[in-house]
Amino acid sequence: MNELAELLEDIVADVDAVFLFSPTGSLYETFADASDLETVVVSAENAVGAENFVELPLEFRDFGGRVRFGMEGALQREYVEEGDEIVCVADVFDDEIDTITRVKTGEFSRSGVYDLFTNSRAEPSVIRDVLEVAVELGKKGQKGKPVGALFVVGDAGKVMNKSRPLSYNPFEKSHVHVGDPIVNVMLKEFSRLDGAFVISDAGKIVSAYRYLEPSAEGVDIPKGLGARHMAAGAITRDTNAIAIVLSESDGLVRAFKGGELIMELDPEEY
Amino acid sequence: MALQFAQFNWPEWIRDIFSAETAFWLSIAILVGGAVLAYLIWKYVHVFLENAGVPAAVEGTPFERTAQGLGTSTAGIVATLAAIFVYLTMLLISLSVSNLFESPSLGPRLTGYLPSIFVAAIALMIGLIAGDKARLSVSERLRSIKMPEASIIPELVKYSIVYLATLVALGQLGIATSALLILLGAYALGIVVLAGLALKDLLAAAASGTYLVLTQPYGIGDEIQIEDKQGIVQEIDLFVTHIENDEREFIIPNQRVFRSGIVRIRD
Repeated sequence: MNELAELLEDIVADVDAVFLFSPTGSLYETFADASDLETVVVSAENAVGAENFVELPLEFRDFGGRVRFGMEGALQREYVEEGDEIVCVADVFDDEIDTITRVKTGEFSRSGVYDLFTNSRAEPSVIRDVLEVAVELGKKGQKGKPVGALFVVGDAGKVMNKSRPLSYNPFEKSHVHVGDPIVNVMLKEFSRLDGAFVISDAGKIVSAYRYLEPSAEGVDIPKGLGARHMAAGAITRDTNAIAIVLSESDGLVRAFKGGELIMELDPEEY
Repeated sequence: MALQFAQFNWPEWIRDIFSAETAFWLSIAILVGGAVLAYLIWKYVHVFLENAGVPAAVEGTPFERTAQGLGTSTAGIVATLAAIFVYLTMLLISLSVSNLFESPSLGPRLTGYLPSIFVAAIALMIGLIAGDKARLSVSERLRSIKMPEASIIPELVKYSIVYLATLVALGQLGIATSALLILLGAYALGIVVLAGLALKDLLAAAASGTYLVLTQPYGIGDEIQIEDKQGIVQEIDLFVTHIENDEREFIIPNQRVFRSGIVRIRD
């Protein structure tokens, strides 16, 4: 046991900050009161009333994604500095704290995933809802067959002016917002047809079946991705929108912002 | 109910039909039956409240916590109250049937008064719990507003509800409440006037917004001009319209959209 204790001591020696992932109230209290470390809480909601708090917009199944998001959030909010050593305390397998990891902030290259949620025009909850719909669609497909879909979120006025309708807009004069339970069903049905969904900053579904016409000049997306991804990258470069794409061929969900690929999710993992 | 009992003196009527001895045994039977009935009511009220989701609804309110501290629960208190009420009624009935008391009119009058006490107790309890619930939900709503002044609103809501419940309870017991009622009237008038003043613009915006959202004279992506502000519509909600051009984003209250009219720009 002694060796284990020593190992643990080595791991937590000389760290600058501790990240608590979804801590219980009592755990947070002990850290906030006792330690001279910077304590940052990373979870879906600030249930413990922490001073330093990074909101997780999604349930990251994969622990690396969670750590990365928490770290980028903390860097952005200046709870920690570049190069700080951080210990993460988290629940990976169960709802109890079972994992302690040490990471160096400098070792992660910034992916902009935190930026995607918090510094976009659209509200974080809207982006989260759209991601959830895309993940759901990727998991189930349309009647068992894989489908592709493209959602353009935010800056809807400009996006509408940079695109044209492919067909009659089923959302004309409707007041459907992403996050309404009916939306999952509707979007699944409409995803059978080609074209993009346009969603406003506040989450209103403005249109379906839009053909995007941005200038694709200078858009650099990984080779091997198709026209849908190219359109997504280009529209986010031309406007302040973000785009969330479900690939028909490999089934992954990707998010674009400013013409760049920011995030890649496998729906099967959620 | 009290009126009926007073008008028709049925214990005397029972004593007229039966002999004194039968009446006595009848009163004992009523007493025993009352105990059984009270127990059954206690049990069924418990089950009923639990099925109606009362324990979940009152969870976390100070009233429930106090009840827990006393080793019972809100549902338990209501059930016990109902049982006590039934048993007391039965006790009074049996007493008046057996005519053990000298004054036969006391029984019926008390029997008539019992329901009022019961209703008053229930009203007070519902008031306390509803007040706490309302305070919790209002403070939850205002949680993002970190101002000390904001914390007074939930308390105000709570005590308004408790005040109303107390009025109902006192009214049930027949205690003079006219002074308290006048106070309530003044308070309500104050709230209406102040809210009217404070929410005037919001109400006007919501009224215009309802029209705009329903008929959609312009949609997201259209270029429009309102007053001297021109741009592309980015968002329309109940209260405001967001218009954006290359340099600026205008957030215009809907009543101004309505008042000035809309210029749609087609090209």
